[in-house]
Amino acid sequence: MEVFTNVGSLVLRIYLMRMVWLALYAQNAAPQGIALHQILTYTVIALLMSLILEVDGTRMIRDRLRDGSIATDMMKPISPALFFFSDGAGQTALHTLLILPSLGFALLMVHIDVPSPVAMGAFVLSFAIGYVLNFLLNFCMNCAAFWTMETFAIQLIVRWCSDLLSGQIIPLLFFPGILQKIVLMLPFAAIYSTPLLIYIGRITPAQYEDALLAQVAWLVVFGVLSLIIWRAAQRRLVVQGG
Amino acid sequence: MSTLEIWADVYRQYWRINVLTALEYRANFLVWFGFTFIYHATALAALWIMLREFPVMNGWTFPEMAFLYSLWMLAHALNNTLFLTIGDVPEHVRDGEIDRLFIRPLNPLFQILTTPQQIFPDELVLALVLFILATIWANPIIDVWFVIFIPLIVIGGALIDFSINLIIATCAFWFVKVDALRWVAFQLEQEFTRYPISIYTKGVRLVLTFLLPYAFMNYYPATFFLDKSEAALHLAPQIGLFSPLVGVLTFILAYAFWRVGLNRYESVGH
Repeated sequence: MEVFTNVGSLVLRIYLMRMVWLALYAQNAAPQGIALHQILTYTVIALLMSLILEVDGTRMIRDRLRDGSIATDMMKPISPALFFFSDGAGQTALHTLLILPSLGFALLMVHIDVPSPVAMGAFVLSFAIGYVLNFLLNFCMNCAAFWTMETFAIQLIVRWCSDLLSGQIIPLLFFPGILQKIVLMLPFAAIYSTPLLIYIGRITPAQYEDALLAQVAWLVVFGVLSLIIWRAAQRRLVVQGG
Repeated sequence: MSTLEIWADVYRQYWRINVLTALEYRANFLVWFGFTFIYHATALAALWIMLREFPVMNGWTFPEMAFLYSLWMLAHALNNTLFLTIGDVPEHVRDGEIDRLFIRPLNPLFQILTTPQQIFPDELVLALVLFILATIWANPIIDVWFVIFIPLIVIGGALIDFSINLIIATCAFWFVKVDALRWVAFQLEQEFTRYPISIYTKGVRLVLTFLLPYAFMNYYPATFFLDKSEAALHLAPQIGLFSPLVGVLTFILAYAFWRVGLNRYESVGH
């Protein structure tokens, strides 16, 4: 049932965005050198990516803090962080299965460009980095539960901001002047924008190295941050009740 | 006490509890206010960015789209303030809680709408501020009709929103689980109303006008007050003034369906 809802909601959104971009392109000149077929491809791929990226793999931290079972997790002879990561990866694999039916429906509605093998390879690599970065970001936020216990509303707020700032809804190239410079410098851009621009060819093979290095830099920053937060959280851990 | 007095008294007590709860959990209230604010702010920001790069969408400029959004937001916020609890019905049907309503001597729907939550009219205030700003910006013709009809249209819009939620909630009496249905309606109401419906294909325009008449929450009234020609179904622009009527009619229909659902209801058992 949940599968049905997920795919159905995705199909509606693809229809909506298709009509929106068609209306905008019909009456205005194509901006920023992004043609209509590119923006449609961008939108559909972004929505398919969101099926995977919107899985919050580390939600479990919050739940286990609530009921106190985190204490026994800490005692097990495995790394809890790795345990959470593999659990998240499992959920992701499940959601990846949804991509096939969704892609099928999407292809009925829009034509999607297929990039060259080189661009496809770079896209997959860039998406993989974006996936881990997204995981670390969620991890940091869920670890906030060690301090405040209630993180759900805050997490939704961050989710909506990041949907906009990561280029999931609108390509960051459409943001005006100084705003564009700022959003391109934020870590959110490394999650959606970079792989997507590689896919539609706005980041050319000559620029792959810089783009991927920038993503890796964010990965390192958040990797270190996650470690620091996890260490602090372990010391901080107060289990509720017995 | 007459029935009306009892209802008024219950309703007053209900709002007293709501406001007191909101005041008691202040941090929680602030976080959820931030949540509401960011939700609408990111939606408007996305529209703004789109319409900076492309100046018009089917003849609509950004200020006009902001007016369109604010009209929807007013009706939606009014619905959220007064009728939000209807969304809990499917859950109550599933866990059998709903049986409680039938042994009390008060209209079941009224009981549902007066189940204390932590509701505070903050979204409505936010909507009003946006509406005033958008009105100044989009510059519709403000005359006596505007002043009379806008509040009626907002009430009509809230009734449309509520009635459709009521119909979906009633479906729970047959199907128990109605999440998928709710999601589709939710998306049509929240995302499809952000744009003039003339951008959609014919079928969707018809659905949004006749089947799930969300277009009467904002598109038709905004078309009339901004003095635009109606390009979706080529109706006379005055159709926008029918929103209050559409609201009342959908409510009558939804309430009749709700009664059918109640009569048919068999408890899941305890």
